[in-house]
Amino acid sequence: MSFTPWSSEAASAVLDTTRDKPGPVLISLQALQNAFGYVPKEAVEMVAKACNVSRADVHGVLTFYHDLRTSPPPRNSVRICVAEACQSVGSQRLVDETERVFGTRMDESNEDVELKSVYCLGNCALGPSAMVNGELIGRSTADALHHLVKAKS
Amino acid sequence: MSIRIYVPKDAAVRSIGADYVALAIEAESAKRGISIDIVRNGTRGALWLEPMVEVETREGRVAYGPVTVSDVDSLFDASFHMGGQHKLSLGLTEDIPWLARQDRVTFARVGVIDPLSLADYQEHGGLVGLRRALTLEQEEIVTEVTQSGLRGRGGAGFPAGIKWRTVMATQSDQKFICCNADEGDSGTFADRMLMEGDPFTLLEGMTIAGLAVGASEGVVYIRSEYPAAYATLNQAIEFARAFGWLGDNVLGSGRAFDIRTRLGGGSYVCGEETAMLESIEGKRGVVRSKPPLPAIFGLFGKPTVINNVLTLATVPAILADGADAYMARGVGRSVGTQVFQLGGNIARGGIVETAFGVTLEELVNDYGSGTLSGLPVRAVQVGGPLGAYLPVSSLNVSMDYESLLAAGGMLGHGGVVVFDESVDMAQQAKFAMEFCAVESCGKCTPCRLGSTRGAETILKIMNGEDVQDNKKLLLDLCEVMTDGSLCAMGGLTPLPVRSAMLHFSEDFDRRARA
Amino acid sequence: MTLLIEPDYGTPAGKSQDIVEIEIDGVSVSIPSDTSIMRASALAGISIPKLCATDSLNAFGSCRLCVVEIDGRNGTPSSCTTPVSDGMKISTKSERLDRIRQGVMELYMSDHPEKCAAGDECEMHGMAKTVGLKEVRYEGQSHLDLPKDETNPYFTFDSTECIVCNRCVRACDEVQGTFALTIENRGFESRVSSSGTSFIESECVSCGACVQACPTGALTEKTLYTIGTPTRSVITTCAYCGVGCSFKAEMRGDELVRMVPYKQGGANEGHSCVKGRFAWGYATHADRITTPMIREKVTDPWKAVSWEHAIEYSSTKLKAIQSQYGIDSIGGITSSRCTNEEVFVVQKMIRAAFGNNNVDTCARVCHSPTGYGLSQTFGTSAGTQDFESVEHSDVVLLIGANPTAAHPVFASRLKQALRKGTKLIVVDPRQIELVRTPHIEATYHLQLLPGTNVAIINAMAHVIAEEGLIDREFVNARCDLDSFARWEEFISLPENSPEALEALTRVPAEDVRKAARLYATVPNAAIYYGLGVTEHSQGSTMVMGIANLAMATGNIGRKGVGVNPLRGQNNVQGSCDMGSFPHELPGYRHISNPKTREIFEIQWKTVLNAKPGMRIPNMFDSAISNEFKGIYIQGEDIAQSDPNISHVHAALRSMELVIVQDLFLNETSKFAHVFLPGTSFLEKDGTFTNAERRINRVRPVMASKTGKSEWEVTCDLATAMGYEMGYENSSQIMDEIAATTPTFSGVSFAKLDELGSIQWPCNAEHPEGTPVMHVDHFVRGEGRFMVTPYVPTDEKATRKFPLLLTTGRILSQYNVGAQTRRTANVVWHSEDILDIHESDAELRGIEDGSWVKLSSRVGETIMKARITDQVPAGVVYTTFHFPESGANVITTDFSDWATNCPEYKVTAVDIAPSIKGPQGIREHVSLGDVELESIIRMANQIAANVPTNTAPEHAVAHHIEQFWTPYMQERLMKEVDRAALSPIVIKALELDLNHVPS
Repeated sequence: MSFTPWSSEAASAVLDTTRDKPGPVLISLQALQNAFGYVPKEAVEMVAKACNVSRADVHGVLTFYHDLRTSPPPRNSVRICVAEACQSVGSQRLVDETERVFGTRMDESNEDVELKSVYCLGNCALGPSAMVNGELIGRSTADALHHLVKAKS
Repeated sequence: MSIRIYVPKDAAVRSIGADYVALAIEAESAKRGISIDIVRNGTRGALWLEPMVEVETREGRVAYGPVTVSDVDSLFDASFHMGGQHKLSLGLTEDIPWLARQDRVTFARVGVIDPLSLADYQEHGGLVGLRRALTLEQEEIVTEVTQSGLRGRGGAGFPAGIKWRTVMATQSDQKFICCNADEGDSGTFADRMLMEGDPFTLLEGMTIAGLAVGASEGVVYIRSEYPAAYATLNQAIEFARAFGWLGDNVLGSGRAFDIRTRLGGGSYVCGEETAMLESIEGKRGVVRSKPPLPAIFGLFGKPTVINNVLTLATVPAILADGADAYMARGVGRSVGTQVFQLGGNIARGGIVETAFGVTLEELVNDYGSGTLSGLPVRAVQVGGPLGAYLPVSSLNVSMDYESLLAAGGMLGHGGVVVFDESVDMAQQAKFAMEFCAVESCGKCTPCRLGSTRGAETILKIMNGEDVQDNKKLLLDLCEVMTDGSLCAMGGLTPLPVRSAMLHFSEDFDRRARA
Repeated sequence: MTLLIEPDYGTPAGKSQDIVEIEIDGVSVSIPSDTSIMRASALAGISIPKLCATDSLNAFGSCRLCVVEIDGRNGTPSSCTTPVSDGMKISTKSERLDRIRQGVMELYMSDHPEKCAAGDECEMHGMAKTVGLKEVRYEGQSHLDLPKDETNPYFTFDSTECIVCNRCVRACDEVQGTFALTIENRGFESRVSSSGTSFIESECVSCGACVQACPTGALTEKTLYTIGTPTRSVITTCAYCGVGCSFKAEMRGDELVRMVPYKQGGANEGHSCVKGRFAWGYATHADRITTPMIREKVTDPWKAVSWEHAIEYSSTKLKAIQSQYGIDSIGGITSSRCTNEEVFVVQKMIRAAFGNNNVDTCARVCHSPTGYGLSQTFGTSAGTQDFESVEHSDVVLLIGANPTAAHPVFASRLKQALRKGTKLIVVDPRQIELVRTPHIEATYHLQLLPGTNVAIINAMAHVIAEEGLIDREFVNARCDLDSFARWEEFISLPENSPEALEALTRVPAEDVRKAARLYATVPNAAIYYGLGVTEHSQGSTMVMGIANLAMATGNIGRKGVGVNPLRGQNNVQGSCDMGSFPHELPGYRHISNPKTREIFEIQWKTVLNAKPGMRIPNMFDSAISNEFKGIYIQGEDIAQSDPNISHVHAALRSMELVIVQDLFLNETSKFAHVFLPGTSFLEKDGTFTNAERRINRVRPVMASKTGKSEWEVTCDLATAMGYEMGYENSSQIMDEIAATTPTFSGVSFAKLDELGSIQWPCNAEHPEGTPVMHVDHFVRGEGRFMVTPYVPTDEKATRKFPLLLTTGRILSQYNVGAQTRRTANVVWHSEDILDIHESDAELRGIEDGSWVKLSSRVGETIMKARITDQVPAGVVYTTFHFPESGANVITTDFSDWATNCPEYKVTAVDIAPSIKGPQGIREHVSLGDVELESIIRMANQIAANVPTNTAPEHAVAHHIEQFWTPYMQERLMKEVDRAALSPIVIKALELDLNHVPS
């Protein structure tokens, strides 16, 4: 995943593609995040203006959806499913081992990687599941996840 | 002529190496000078056999699986591309008992066709339903769907035809068909598989719905955890537009219908239909009060049909084969087929589409062959995170809406998650509350505060603090959440909690736990 | 009186005609089918517990306390979100419901402070008792350690007491329409937030709707902490703008704790803005002068004296001036800030005790063209609708008004309509907030050049005539057809086409056409306008052009349509109604009419002067020429608010007695010899009349700080002058108004107390008042079309002064700022700022926030610049709230041809960077006979504008006869070089003025 460095000009161009869509706030924020990897605070006013809503409206949406982030992402994202189907095949063990392997805690990050829990990736017969930089991994092990991250970073 | 080899592109199959298998087959065939044509189909749903490679032969499609990269060499050695025997041979795909036993209606084409080939789609019965619908009056389409007995597959089981009729009867300059593809329940993946494996079926069902109620616009709301389904569906929409199906002139009929997709933002509650509408409108995914019903005041305030992926994807078959054919399946008021999804700690997981009325026992032990771990089954959660945990003694329950309700559970979206005996049911109950705390939209008090209080209280029980009082408190809380919550999220969270307390009370006793 | 607790029925009233029968706890109820179960119950006297519901907001259904059981239905639906349906049987009480309610309250209280700062104000603790909650068994995470947000000067946000009921968020959205609040995060972490910043940094406009809506102590007026909880309330009327909001003044002893908007208030229906809600501290400000003061010379220090002495001193001086300079040498100005009763007695004093008609009002400088224009066309000098009417409009044409700043509570109502689908056309040189603001976007913004209003309205009318959009049925049935035929011929001229006028107005012809079509083709289109219409040299022409447009399209006489001036001050309508003009007695009846005079002569037991008196500018001119020597100024700071201030100052300096009646020493009092302390609205007893003709009671919430009512002072002065005047109370004054004025004949304090408010006309025909005027016929009989030729103002951009300055108000400040500058509202706006377009700024090397010199041909001043796209290139804009910036040093004395309303909205200026920073203001010295020049200009303007095309000289002569003072007429006849006059004026002068047919 490579992102454009944030600039208000580039953000304007992104917003030009979303502002006229019906109900444009969430897709505008998603488009900004797709482009820049995150939605900086200063984007709030731009989105509000583009979509003709209030800053508060945008702030409410930005803080509601767990996908949206307001700080730049670390180089790698590892999301581990912690919902029931994966629990039944040892997702807790996977979490523990992954935390150890990467040296960071769930829902925290270090320079290299961010570990995040996720509730279901739709791979419930092949758990425990994880997603590494957008790629779905079935029957995951901590070593496999670590290997994938190392291969990519 | 080159040989057609099918390697699934379904995200689940890719998660266990399908892409590498496909690459290896391609490389190896090149090396051996064998002309092959790899089709990336959806999965047949027998995930325990995946990656399952199929080869088209004169006798039919021959299957091999599960295939790993290291098997490719030997497969070629065994002339698998000609249907040759190999230790991974499964015979003709359609004869694989696990699949042959099923009754595929909604999933008839999934895994069979090239998901994005309109030619393939039509060769396998695609667009027959829509073409018929185009010859019918709105009223006739709605009647057909009503008579089929099709009920919402999202969980609530509300008759689709009745919902459509309300939208049809409501006057408005604009109406919408919203497809709920926010398949957030753990243990469910059928929507995803259908969108990846046979996206045109969903588009066809939505188009028929649009014709039926007089809507010209459809929206599919897909969760962001499904990037592949999102991409496939978008591609399918583009192809359908280019084909003259979606757009201003549906298959030359002069009627307009188009579809766009909206991606979720990582919020389980947006699978609740009104929260979904808010999210499509770009707002916080907060649940609306009903009334007004979305059928009358829905997306952007317009009359809106909201149906789940499986509901809409079943409509083309009903239009193509008639209401009676669909209605003939099932038991009681649960007619037709259900796409069950077997997951969790299960040996043979995947999609089992069969008429309502199959027992949980059959699903778990016959299709599923018990647990993956090999340990005895201890609990089965049916219907996702808001569904009940059923003990082994309840496995004889018939899998239909009414029987599950009577057994203190619910069918939900047809997810079946198996746990072996290592499960800690107090922990599972606590998790149900924690999940609700994380995913609650925060609007109503019972859910917003109750979920956190519930998790805290269960922890106290687990720690042996004032166990009797806290159990009483937890039950009181469950009643407040059940009766007081605004939507099913808060209202059903007590279901797994109570069922765990009821059937696995020993796990809530510290001495027993120790 | 005790503290008034208004009933809260939980959800808004149903509007359906469909009435259903239901049974609640065995009680039968008949109710509109769109009523909630909660409201139906409340109306039946059955109270259902609730926290997130309040009847000013749509049902939300989040607290889940109001659950009920319905026969034949599963579950326990919330009563606020469930509408009634015929035959429904509802139980509001059961053990199950008790358990749910207790369970919900137990959850709430597990994250709520045990003791609330709000004390009794917090509905939470009351509700816990109501539902019978005995204990809270939960322990765990909470939000009890969150910090308070104290940044708003008037209220505190304490998140620890917040129950996330969304009432504040919904109030901000649904009622106020600002959308400044949201919930951030979700689930347990859901918190009310002003967009992640503090309140003061947020979009919050401090209207107070959130504070009012909050059921706990989370949003609380700071005075509740500093003064304590109120113990009694008095219903009264806000004294800021022309919206006329009703408030409950909540008192603790004699101290005002807070002003809470009154739900029964006809104008505001429970809403408010930052000024009325919070900025009332000026009323008891330490700067208040409460003792009369006099001084011989303006260079002397003030000397506090007794009331008797001040009255004696004033009357002696006034009488001396009259004996030396003649009866016409004194006069007075009434104030639109005062009550009807106070204004009435001042004009009565001038006419009866001074013996002349030299009375004018500050409305002269704002809405006098409205009076003139609407009476010429419709026959009455007032807006045609009530505010509620806008909810029935399909299109609103908003011209020269900025409601979100100047009429915020009406703006909120308008925004509600716009969000429900009403379309908006804005005609304004500036991009006012309503052009594009969260969730609202005008369909068209005709961004015309200042001074080209008439061209635009003519172009719109041209399109309507040309494209066959005239409502001929209405015109034939309701209007004077001769005038219509003349108008239609005129308006169809090619020179009035949008294409012909495009270069002049700078508005693309196609936009004008589209806007005109939109206005003309919907069922109900309404026009709302402000001072951007009136404060022009063609202000009166524009008002008539607006009236023509409404008549031609049949948009008069029912809900959702009409012509509606948005009045600036609280009692502009009333002060005009009360006979504040030199040519008109109360009720807009000409002084020259002997029958009208007779009514007052009998009532007042005196003989009235039949000649119109002097207008304010005449008084100034006459003062400078040493003929006008004494003035009584009621509550108006003319030395700051009037145009071409140097001229005003010179006039004041040349007078021998200037009496100022006001709350504070101000710019005008610098020229005064007598200062008579006035009373604030909190001390007044009387009535204000708002922009929708609604007469609202102003009730004293505290004793007069001066020891006297203002009307008493006026009466004392009149009596001392030799004309005995006196009333026992202000109710008697209203009785006299009713006795002499047909449109007020049914009005009395008793009836106002009974009905809450009354929209005049109120008489035998309309005993409860008249929300919509001209329903079956126009007040003048047939609606009269007026020909409205566009005549460019003489004030033009030149090479020396290439930019056009226009002026206006902002939300937090009010007019000359005497009130708002003495409140915490300065937090939002502490100085006047010059708005300038980027390209104009760049050309002149001006940076955002830098000091600039602003100069016109009459003066110079210095202020800070703000670079903005709210003004187009070539136009600059500023407010006039602060005397230091002296915006009116810049404005010229050009004025409306018919009414002399100053042309505040167009001044040719230039700006340049100012290195020195604030240096104060400089007046340019005027040379020559300013008065004579102005008489010539006015006469020529009348000739150019007078709306007729047969015998215009008759019309000119008639106008001069009707509205000019004899003195001005004389100067025009005798002293003006005929070469300087237009041929029509010369012809008019040749007529015998007294025998011109009208």
